[in-house]
Amino acid sequence: MRATVKDGVGTFHPQGFLDGNASASLLSIEDIEATLKLNADMILVSLKNVIFFNRNGLDAFVKLFQKVRSANHIIVGFCDYDTKKYQTIMKFYKDELMFSLFKTQEIATLFASSFKNQSKNVLLYSDDKSQRAAMAIELHDNGHNPIVAQTKKEFDEKAKAENAYDVIIDDTFLGQMGQKVATRVTGNAIIYTVSSFLDAEIGNTFNIAYHNNSLNVGFRLFIFDAYKVVSMNVHALNFFSKLASAAAEYNATICFVGMTFEKTPLSFKETLEDSGIMFFEQMDDILGDKELLEELGASSATAIKSKRALNKEIVTEIPNFIDATVATIEMMTNSKALKEAVKIDKLEITDRENKIASSIGFYGDIDGMVILVFPDGIAKKACELLIGEDTDDKELILDTLAELVNIVGGKVKTLLNDESISVDITLPRTYPNVESLLEIAQDKKGVQVDLNFNNDNFLFFLTR
Amino acid sequence: MITKEKIDAFIEKIPPSPQALRKTILALNAGDLTKAAEAAKEDKALSHYLKELVNKPIYGFRNEVSDVSQIFGILGVSQSQQAVYNYMLTLLSPAKWKLFKLNRNSFSDLQAELSIQWQKILKHLHIEDKEIESAIALLPASIIVSEALFCEKIDDVELLRSVNNIDLNTILKRLCGMDLFDICERIAQKWEMDEKIANIIQAASGIKPSDDEKIDLLGKWMHLLLFFTLSKPQFIDAGLNDFIDFQIEYVSDIYDEFATLMEIT
Repeated sequence: MRATVKDGVGTFHPQGFLDGNASASLLSIEDIEATLKLNADMILVSLKNVIFFNRNGLDAFVKLFQKVRSANHIIVGFCDYDTKKYQTIMKFYKDELMFSLFKTQEIATLFASSFKNQSKNVLLYSDDKSQRAAMAIELHDNGHNPIVAQTKKEFDEKAKAENAYDVIIDDTFLGQMGQKVATRVTGNAIIYTVSSFLDAEIGNTFNIAYHNNSLNVGFRLFIFDAYKVVSMNVHALNFFSKLASAAAEYNATICFVGMTFEKTPLSFKETLEDSGIMFFEQMDDILGDKELLEELGASSATAIKSKRALNKEIVTEIPNFIDATVATIEMMTNSKALKEAVKIDKLEITDRENKIASSIGFYGDIDGMVILVFPDGIAKKACELLIGEDTDDKELILDTLAELVNIVGGKVKTLLNDESISVDITLPRTYPNVESLLEIAQDKKGVQVDLNFNNDNFLFFLTR
Repeated sequence: MITKEKIDAFIEKIPPSPQALRKTILALNAGDLTKAAEAAKEDKALSHYLKELVNKPIYGFRNEVSDVSQIFGILGVSQSQQAVYNYMLTLLSPAKWKLFKLNRNSFSDLQAELSIQWQKILKHLHIEDKEIESAIALLPASIIVSEALFCEKIDDVELLRSVNNIDLNTILKRLCGMDLFDICERIAQKWEMDEKIANIIQAASGIKPSDDEKIDLLGKWMHLLLFFTLSKPQFIDAGLNDFIDFQIEYVSDIYDEFATLMEIT
């Protein structure tokens, strides 16, 4: 079966029942070759006429997506489905969803570069905050006018208005975002979820590289959501004790929430408390207590153990990092960036007033961390698009800024992936002022690029 | 343009009527299995076909069934009738398929798959009607006719296919003013089948729903069965999957019932 190309979008139209056998017959090696050679901005598989599919049936197309992506760096994904099919695909692929999902072909074309500058009024909603942000940015980038609904209720209300929007987007997913290991919440805490029996297996399932990089980026509060833990054995106890002592070197705190000791010896709790782990009954005990949250999550001046230097691999990739950052911020603020100075040294911020910052780490084939320092004005402007209105709520701006940096991270990840460099990104951390940033970053050496957006100084810093 | 006369000429060939075959059909129509078996035994090709057919895995018999009267006995009147219809079609089917990558074997697989599952559906719907049971044989028949028609204009067909994603059914309609289901209808008339059969077939196209609730329901089941069968790798490879446009909305209300019946998980 071959894709038909229209307006730069290549679409496959399988029909009937799509299981592993059927899709193997639908896509021959020649078909895959032909698809790679297509001159298209986007490759889609329409599920409109597919009444049944299973994971094996989709897998043949997903493999095609991977090939097309790495060869041509274009958008790939499924389209034309209802909510039930959408949820099924989400369930099948969960965290490995690297392709996109567009509810209709019309929605897909909004994201295709050949459809640029058609200035459509688009209402969009996704229950995933990063997705909302990413879609808004892409749409804006393509010259449309996105209106983001922050809640399902708001979306339903707005969607009722007839003729108010050219296109309404829901049940849609952009598959180029960073990974989802943990959930970030306001106040720079990272929440991990653990469940059932905690034993030696935790050493394999817990993503230690991610955790270490989060520490390196400056996260200081880690919460284990342990409501669903039945019991813990001595291996897990050792694991968490070690984790706690490693965290102590960064002055970081580890908390357990909702852990009961009905089936776990109470002495374990004492051991864990001795190693510095705190226990809370309810998530709200921490998250609801702003003061405590600030105290636990604040960056600290403790010298970071490992002093890592920039290496050649990272330096050669700097243009990718800067391009991804500049493109995103330029588009969000609707202004042009002027590069002013580039130097390799310790982070140097001349004017420290009215600035906020954010950092995001990456690890894998190469590792390091990007720090962005925004003047309040640029940050506000950049976030306006995502929030949908002008705001002075600093917490909201910081939160939104984190999403923005997450998008930059996602872009970098995609760019590097295209060069066969595989990295994962941590969640972004934000800093309400320059001082809190310097506490973790002042001794780090890195590449600093000063950029000028509309006479406001914006700073990009890449370090390890 | 392929003219109506030409189409009729093709359909005219269905069914060819060797003496033995005609006798078999007459006996089956009268419900006389013994007489039918006697007649069928005279036609070696028919006996061989029937033997091959019932021993296909889809029929699920543990031991080889080889005697014609035994075969008719197992199949019963209506299924025997269908088997004989199917046989008549294989006589017509081209020795070498050009557009659809089928052969005698895969074509009879298609017939068997459709007949057996249709039988299952009718049983599920509590419908006992010999004519409706035979209606499913019209689909493979019209595929043969389409193949023959397409072969006349194979270059045009392939050109049309390469520039645009139009389904073969639309091409068929443009080339000769009739689509697959119209051809089915014509064959039904030729076979002097009841008018309701033609209506069921037209409803099974998914684009011409019937006002008659019962006929429309059967049309839906047939449409879905057709796609269920054409989604098998063998028939995708044959190029049959994109012959017609699947009308997913038309069948959505019976899908769950269908999935349960066909044990799709």
